[in-house]
Formats: sequence, structure tokens, C-alpha cells
Amino acid sequence: MDWIRVLFSRCIALFRRQAQDADLEEELRTHIELAVEENLKRGLSAQEARTAALRRFGGVTQIKETYRVQRGMPFLEQIVRDLRYGCRQLWRSPGFTLTAVLTLALGLGANTAIFSLVNALLLRPLPVPHAEQLAVLNFVEGRSPDQTFNEPMFRALEKRHEVFEDVAAFVDDQYFQVRSGSGVVKVHGALVSGQFFSAMETAPLMGRVLTPEDDRPGGTSGGFGVVISEGFWKTWFNGAPDVVGRKLVIANAPFTVVGVMPKQFIGADPTERPEIYAPLWSEPVIDAPYNNIAAGFHAWWLEIIVRRKPGVTLEQANAALAAASNAVIEEAVPDAKWIMRAEAHHFRFGAEPGSIGYSEFRSHFVKPLMVVMVLCGAMLLLACLNLASLLMARSAARERELATRLAMGATRRRLVQQLMVESGLIGLMGTAAGLLAAPTVSHALAAVLLGRFRTAVLDTTQDLRVYGFAAATAIAVVLLIGLAPALRATAKNLNEQIKQGTHAASVRERRSLLPRALMSLEVALALVLVVGAGLLATSVVRLYGTGLGFDAKGLVNLDLDMHKQALDGDALVRWYSAYGEALSHLPGVRGVTFQSVTPLSGSAWTDQFQTPLSGSNQRMYLNAVAPAYFQTMHIPQLEGRDFQWNDTPTSGRKIILNETAAKALFPGQNPLGQTVTQRNGTSFEVIGVVGDVRYKSIQQSAPAGAYEPLTQNNERKPSYQAVVRLEGSVAPLAGAARILTARMATDVPPPVMTTMSTVLDASISSERMMAMMAVFFAVCALLVTAIGLYGTLAYATARRTSEIGIRMALGARRAQVVELVFRENAWVAAGGSLAGLAIALLTSRALASFLYGTSVHDPWVLVGSVAALTLIASAASLVPALRASRIDPIQALRAE
Amino acid sequence: MGETKSDVLQGTLDLMVLKTLESMGPLHGYGIARRIEQVSGDALSLNQGTIYPALLRLEQRGWIKSEWGTSESNRRAKFYALTRIGHKQIEEETENWERVAATMARFLAPSNARSN
Repeated sequence: MDWIRVLFSRCIALFRRQAQDADLEEELRTHIELAVEENLKRGLSAQEARTAALRRFGGVTQIKETYRVQRGMPFLEQIVRDLRYGCRQLWRSPGFTLTAVLTLALGLGANTAIFSLVNALLLRPLPVPHAEQLAVLNFVEGRSPDQTFNEPMFRALEKRHEVFEDVAAFVDDQYFQVRSGSGVVKVHGALVSGQFFSAMETAPLMGRVLTPEDDRPGGTSGGFGVVISEGFWKTWFNGAPDVVGRKLVIANAPFTVVGVMPKQFIGADPTERPEIYAPLWSEPVIDAPYNNIAAGFHAWWLEIIVRRKPGVTLEQANAALAAASNAVIEEAVPDAKWIMRAEAHHFRFGAEPGSIGYSEFRSHFVKPLMVVMVLCGAMLLLACLNLASLLMARSAARERELATRLAMGATRRRLVQQLMVESGLIGLMGTAAGLLAAPTVSHALAAVLLGRFRTAVLDTTQDLRVYGFAAATAIAVVLLIGLAPALRATAKNLNEQIKQGTHAASVRERRSLLPRALMSLEVALALVLVVGAGLLATSVVRLYGTGLGFDAKGLVNLDLDMHKQALDGDALVRWYSAYGEALSHLPGVRGVTFQSVTPLSGSAWTDQFQTPLSGSNQRMYLNAVAPAYFQTMHIPQLEGRDFQWNDTPTSGRKIILNETAAKALFPGQNPLGQTVTQRNGTSFEVIGVVGDVRYKSIQQSAPAGAYEPLTQNNERKPSYQAVVRLEGSVAPLAGAARILTARMATDVPPPVMTTMSTVLDASISSERMMAMMAVFFAVCALLVTAIGLYGTLAYATARRTSEIGIRMALGARRAQVVELVFRENAWVAAGGSLAGLAIALLTSRALASFLYGTSVHDPWVLVGSVAALTLIASAASLVPALRASRIDPIQALRAE
Repeated sequence: MGETKSDVLQGTLDLMVLKTLESMGPLHGYGIARRIEQVSGDALSLNQGTIYPALLRLEQRGWIKSEWGTSESNRRAKFYALTRIGHKQIEEETENWERVAATMARFLAPSNARSN
């Protein structure tokens, strides 16, 4: 208890220093006067009385000092003094301060930005109670675990509660077609099984959550219910208090709103924000004309999240799942052959930690993010080395002042503390600036990364974890940049210092190995960053330069959603034809066609085909297209003819092969007029051969492919993309197409427009992000290194002014002086470059899997990087060298 | 070593101040110093100034409180008085001191009997 009172009174004292000083002054004066009075009474003279009183009292000043130290918080007051002093020091050299703060802000900001992404993707737990009890189910069948399940397996797992409280399935990257007053709108929705909300343990804001009673064929007695998000409630229902019980028409079927979830609830996937949660059993309605439930164990489309019973460990859950595996697949899969094969491959279910939920993006983005994180770390290290070098050079100039203070009785600890406070100030400002800039950077990166995934979000909000990371990094940085210079600057004794000073007579410092080593290391790191950036950027340039087999420039896709409207079959084909015709009359449109799959979009449609010549089945990448597809895409028609609108189902199935497919299916023969057979037995007549097209990705060479006419597609209510070849601006087309669609089909949501170049960008989003960050870092690294080389050399040269003056007075020519100064950095740069080249050659292999058409030892990149660095280093070193050559010997010697 | 010695001294001085205030009532710094000198005779050669850090220490702990008032010779002076906590503390401190003194006495008794 005592210490609290003491601390409190000391704290108070901090703010009342002056008043208390006056009090003490008066109190001591009274004391002396009382003593003098008493001495006078005893008959001493006035002079004697005063002397005696003072002698009895002891040292007044010492007492005051002791009193003050004990009164307040000397350490804190000292820090405050150091802070003031540090601020003044930094203020006095604004150029240095600005450089230092900006460099640090850059390094820390970039690191924090990337960490925010890592945090959003990998670290932040789901905002639900006891997230640590959650687990995500997977299955292993020989290879690496897969987290996507089919419905029968899930239903068999759902009943098992030995180790789990709740077992829930969900799929949440869907668009629901919701009818509004003015038409049909796509709303991001999720399908969730009966135990989903009890697994999430989150209470609804209004109404109730979905329960197992909702997740039945047909739903409850009142039909299917849905739970909506708070955001959707506010926008769609204007926050109506009576929203529970209202109807929503989704996919032309009525659903009843039964509850509203609070804002913080985001479901089980941290990268999705569904607005409507519908029962799993409503999938056939919402997905019509498709039906994943009816497709049974062939459709793999569900993620499973479970809540473990309290006290059940992940290992126990895994053991229980493994033990139940065979029973579950025997219950779920009606195919005996499939079961036999699965059991032969040791098919088993497993559980992995689920506190951070499930996101499909983890597998996509973790490796690129780690690469960028490493680049960021290197950049920060480089910034630190640079600052340490600059601080060292700076405090070298202050060595004499510091040595004098040491000699006057300041402890070394005290001086180091003061210098560290200065570094701390730089660190603090850098961190603050970095934290301010980080959100913009992480937003931009998230946007680049998520490119093609329209529903996805990466919540890069700075939370405690991000601040913790920034703080820890900042502390490490301050120690890194401050400690070495502070220790070095205070190491010398005064004697030595005063003897040397900045006089010309001083021996060339031989002990300055450390600053040179630091600068060399910085140069090496910069070279590594430049090489990395060079490789990644070259790779991206080569990706964009790759021949795709079609001309992406000026192509625009309009995504039509025709699943839920009334037309089907021939009538729908006629509609597409008419729609294409109408589009072709819009301004700037040079050609219109349709496709079912956009090349390079990530989606694919494959099947097996064979011919008597090919022998075995050939896997082919398919696309259903309209007439004029090849003409519009600029794919060369090599042989035969194009499709026509009158290639109807009754006129015999037609197919067009690409070159690779033609060669594989008809080696050495003319394929025209011949027949290919699909695995299910359907036969097609080959009517043409066209050029190859990159289908899966830019990186993978064009696969064997075939085109079927959309006029003969027997899928129900197929949705196609209109492909428009456009001249001029894209923007007007969006509005015109929207109006056109609304006029021609009332029940269709407005088409989503994407340019083919966006699709291209999105297909290499990771590569783009890595290259962008790497190039940015490389440019910064070059800049920072240049500043470092310039700054340290400038300080060092300034200290040699007299020496250079004498040399010139003794007849040294300017060129010799330039050489003398320049040589100092030349060694540093050359050594650093060599070391950097060695590191780059050893480590660039790590990038191999991200590079396309670029060797990790690409000679041009290596040569170019060294050249860039040499150029920058020379430029940075030449300025101080030239300045030194202009030293006036008379003045320099006079200063001696 | 130096610190241990001054700690003992500090504690001693603190207890002297507390006892002085207990017996004399509110008193200013000079009065306390003179009283300690008088009671201890010549045995204690103490700079009067050291009383002030001790007073501050006691005040920070809340054992004594201070108030500006007027001295017998009509001077403005700061008067110190025991607080309730201070009264209670005296007992404890006295016990502590007696224990230490007794222990010390036991150590010193056999060899230093003459000076006792």
C-alpha cells in the first residue's frame, strides 16, 4: 500500500515542480533564519551566527538535490529532458530527420501492410465465442488433404456427435438472384446446414437463427427460412423493425426472413461476407436448374466446420474421425467400386484447427505473401543498416562533445540513453508514418490479389495483433539502428579525443571497419532486392508478352445469368442470337459472339474423347461457343468452316478442334468430316480446325481443345458470356448493355462486364503483386542505398577537410582528391556488390516456382542489376568527392 | 555496503522524527532537528539538512502531514504532524528497531562489554 501512496505523490510532484521548489526554498530559508536567531540569542555576532547556522545545516544545494530526486521521478524527468534534447537535435538537421523517418516509414509501413494481409488471411480468429473449439474437416486419400466434401458424406458425418457438439456444412461464394421492385439483383449468399449457427454460437440481432428444423427438404411448414446480415437488413429493408416474417423471392421462390445476424458475424469464412444465409436443403431451388444434392457423391462442393466438445483435443477428434471413416463412406457412397478404391488408398477423414475458419484463398496466396513478406523484411533490414550507418557517421561528428561530457562526469549509460532516445524518436515517427500509410497499401494489395474473386474480401483492419507486430518491429528497429552507433560514439576517452579532434594530424581511422561492413551489407541487400525484382518483373513482362492464341486487346465479356428466367431450348438460343444482333448495333462494337468458358478465367470444362486413330481417351478442354467466335476472338480458322446459327440439335452434332487436338486425335490425317466420340458415347462430326488457345493459364501451354456449337448444347437454361470486340471506350457499353438486357429479358440480373485484360491481370494476380512489390522495394532500396552512400561519405569527408586542404596545399591535384574520396566508397560498393551477387545466386532459386520463361540466373537481369547499382553508387559517391576537390586549402588550413 | 549503512541510518532518522512528533505535537523542520539534537546529546553528529529528505519520505508514505503556519517568532514555517497511519506505524517501527537493536546488542555484547 505504501508504494502506491509514494508513487502517487511522486506523480503529483511532476506537475507541481515550480510550486514545490518555491515551498522548499522558503522552508529552508525559515530553517536557517530560525537557527541564526537562536545563535544570536546565544550572543554570537551576526556574521558568526549565520556561518554557524549554515555549518550545522550542511550543504544546502546537496540537500535540495537529494530532496528533488526523492520528490519526483528522476528517471522520467530525465527521459523528458532527453526527449526535448533529441527533438532539438533532429529539428536542427531536418534533411537527415526526414530521410530517416521516410526510410523507416517505408520499411515499417510495407511490413505492417503485408502483415495486415497475413493477419486477415491466417491469424485473425473468427469473431465467434470460443473459436478455438472450432475445427475444419478434411479428408486424405493418399495425397495432401482436401477440405471439400459431397453432400451424402456430410449428412453421414453430421449425425456423429461422439467428439463434436455441432457438425456444419456451408458454401458461401454464391450469388443468390433476389427479386427487387425493379428486377432481379444478385446478392452474395451462403448455404448452410442445420447445425451451422449453433456451431457459430452467435445470437441473432433479431428473430432466430436457422436450426436443423429449417434444413429439411421443403424447409419448415412455412417453407424455407433465411437469416440475413445486419447490413442487408439496413440496405434492403431500410432497417424495418418488422423484418422478421417478411418474404424474399430468391430464384423465383419465396423465402421467409426468420432472423437478422449482428454486424460482427461474418460466418465461417474470414474472406467472405455473405448477406443471406439459406438452409442447405434449399440448394436445388437456389441453384436451379442445377442440383448438387441430387448429384449425390459426385458433387464436391461443401466445406465442413465443426465445434469440438469441451475437453476434446484435435488429436482425439482426428482419431475419432479416422476410426469412423470407413463406416461413413460406406453409408454415403452407393458405388462399391469407389469404396474399394478409397479404402485401398487409406481414405480417412481428419480435422485441422478451425479457429480462423476456412478460406480457399489460403492455398492460393500464402506462398506469394510469404515471398513479399521476405522482401519486406529485407527492405526493412536495409533501411535499418542505412540508418545505423548514417547515425554512426553523425555521432562520429559529435564524438568530441560526448567525450567531453564523459570527462565531466556523465556516465556512459546516461549518454547511451540519450542517444537511444534520439533513435527512439526517429523510430516512433517512422512507425507512426508507416502505420498511417499501411492501410492504403494493404487495401491496394488486397485488391490486386483478389482480382477475379468478386465476392471475396480481405479485412485488413489494423487490430491489436497488427499494432503488436508494428510495436515489436519498431523496438527491434530502434535497437538495431541506435545501439551500435551509441556504444561506439561513447567508447572513446576524452584524452584521445581531444588529442585528435578534427585536426589534420589525426591518423586515418583504421577502426572504421564496422561502418564500412554495414554499408557493404546494405549494398549487398540492395543488390539482392534488385535482382529479385528484376527476375519477377521480367517474368511478368514475359507473361504479358506470351502469345495467347487470341487477341485479348479490345475484348469485353458480358456475363449473362440466364438460369432463372423462363426461356429454354431453341427459344433461348433464338434469344441469344437476337441479343447478339442487338449488341452488334451498339456504337464501337465490331463483333459479338458467345462463349460458355472464358479462357484464363480459372474455370474449365473438360471431357475425354477418342477416335479409332487415337486409341486411348484424350482429355480435352471444351467450350460451347456461338458462330463468329473465332473471328471475334481473332483465333485463326485453319481448316473447314465455322458454326452457324442453323447447326441445330437435329442437324447432327458438330465439333471444331484446335490444332493440338487435331494432331492428337487424327495423327497424320485430315480430320475434316471425321468422327470423334465423347466418353459417354456421343459422336461429333469435325467441321473445322482452329488455332490453339491458352486456356487454363498464361503459363501453361495451350492444351488440346474442342468447341461445340452453343446451338447444340443440351444443358438446361445455359448461361453464356457475350464476347464483344470493341473499338474505343468501354464505359458506354456497360450502360447500353444493361439497358438492352433489361429490355430484352426482365428476369435477368444486369450483366457483369469484364474486359479480357482484367481477366488476364487477375489470372496472374499473385505474380503481379509480387513483381509490383519487388520493383517498388528495389527502387526504394536503390534510393536508400544511394542516400546512405552519399550521407556517410559526406560526413566522413567533412571530417577530413583539413587533411585534404594540406594535401592540396602540398600539390595534390583535384583529380587525385576526387579519386581519394571516391575510392572509399568504391571499395564498399564493390565488396557489397560481390557479396550481394553471391547471395542472389544462392537464394534466387527460391523464386524459381514463381518465374515464367525466366531463369533464376538470367544473365541480363544479373548484369542489369549490378549495372544499376554501380551507377547509383557512383553518382552518390561522386557528389562528396567533387565537393572535396573544391576545398580551398587556405581556408582549410586556417581552420586548423 | 554503503547503501545498507545509509538505509539503517535512514530508518533510524525516520523513527526519531516520528517519536519527536509523537511527544512534541506539530513542529517545524528546525524544531524537529533541534529536538533530535537535544535528545541525542552529542552522540549524533547530523547535518540538520538531512531532516528534510526524511520528512519528505515520511510525508510521501502518508505517515506525517504538513501545513504552513506561523512559528513562535512569527515566521512562516511548515509544520509537520503525525497522521493516523503515522501513529500506528510508530509502534511497528519501534518494534522493528528494538529487534534490530537487540540482535546487534547480542552480537556486540561478548567482545565489547567494556563500552557497554
